[in-house]
Amino acid sequence: MAAPSLLRGGLKRLFTGLFGNGWVSPPARALREVVEVTEGNTTTIEGRIIEDAETPTPPNPSGQCPICRWNLKHKYDYVDVLLLSQFIRSDGGMLPRRITGLCLEEHKKIAVCVQMAHRAGLLPNHRPQLPEGHIPKKPKLNRYLTRWSVKSARPIWSRGPKWCKKPMPVGHPLLKDNVKYTQKPLSLNH
Amino acid sequence: MASYTKAAQQWATFARAWYLLDAKMQPPGKIAAATVIRLEGRHKPIYHALSDCGDHVVIINTRHIAFSGNKWEQKVYSSHTGYPGGFKQVTATQLHLKDPTAIVKLTVYRMLPKNLQRRTMMQRLHLFPEDIIPEDIQKNLLQEIPQPRAVPKRLDEYTPEEIAAFPKVWIPPKDFRRK
Repeated sequence: MAAPSLLRGGLKRLFTGLFGNGWVSPPARALREVVEVTEGNTTTIEGRIIEDAETPTPPNPSGQCPICRWNLKHKYDYVDVLLLSQFIRSDGGMLPRRITGLCLEEHKKIAVCVQMAHRAGLLPNHRPQLPEGHIPKKPKLNRYLTRWSVKSARPIWSRGPKWCKKPMPVGHPLLKDNVKYTQKPLSLNH
Repeated sequence: MASYTKAAQQWATFARAWYLLDAKMQPPGKIAAATVIRLEGRHKPIYHALSDCGDHVVIINTRHIAFSGNKWEQKVYSSHTGYPGGFKQVTATQLHLKDPTAIVKLTVYRMLPKNLQRRTMMQRLHLFPEDIIPEDIQKNLLQEIPQPRAVPKRLDEYTPEEIAAFPKVWIPPKDFRRK
C-alpha cells in the first residue's frame, strides 16, 4: 500500500507544477461509500458516490470566501459554535485554508474564535484522543474570551500606579471591528 | 397601592428584602456590581445613605464563577499579615481553590463605599459555594436578581434540528476525507 500512495503524491506534485499559478489541482476522484448487497446466490459490492444534501444559495454568491458569501464579515464571535464547528476537525484543530476556501484574515479570525471557544469549554466533543485513559488532575475553572493559552499566562505581581496600570487582556484585537449592538465601546484590556 | 392599608404599605416600603443571585458562569465583577446596588439600597426610591435601607443578598454557586481573559492566571490578590516578611501574594486560581467564596467576597467588599456602613452591609451578604442553602435563609428569599452575563450554549446543548437548520457555509471538495 505504500508504493501506490507515494506514486499518487508524486503525480499530484508534477501536475501542480505544470498548472502554475492558483490552486488548480488535477481532477479528483470522488469518495465512494462501499455498499454490500446479498441477493440469494449473488453478492454485489459497489461503491456509491456520497451525494451531499442541497445547500441553500448564499446571499452574496460573488464573494471570494464563505464568510463574504454569507455576509458574515464582522458578525461572528467565539459564541457562534454552529459556524465555528464547520471549520474544525474532530480533535479540535483547524482545517487548512486551501480546503475551506477562507481568505487569510477570516481564517485567522476563525482560528482565534475557535481557540477562545475551546478555552471556554464550548466544544466539549472536539478533544484530542488521550490513549491511556489519563485522568486530568487540574481543576476546571470557567473562563471566556481568553486571549492567551492557560499554561502561558503569568501572574501580574504588581499592576503599577493608577495612571499606568498593567492591563489584563480580554478578547482579541482581530475581532475589534465586529458589529456592536450596544453603544458601549469594546474594551480589549481590563 | 389602592387597596393596601397604610400599615401594609409602610411595611412593604421599609422592610428588608432577601434577594438571590446565581453566580454560575458569571464574572465576579458584574455579580458584585449588582449586589452592591442592593446592599446599599440604591434600588429603592426611598434611598438615603444614612437610613440603613439596604437589603440582604444571597449569592450561590460562587465556586463556578467565570473570569474573562486570563485573569485566573494574571490576577493577584495581595495581603500583609502585619509582621515583617508577611507580604503574601496569591493568584486568583490559588485563592479560589483555597476558599471558593473569597473572590466574590473581596470583590463586593472593595466595591462598597468605604465608610463605616461597609461592614454592616457585608454582614448582609451571604455567600455559598454550591447551590445548597440553609433552610432558614431559603424561607426568607423574595426575588431572584437576573444574571448579568448571557451564558453561551455549548455545541452539545444545541438540538440536532437546530444544527441541521444551520446552513453549511462551505462545500468540501469531492476527495476530501474528514478526519
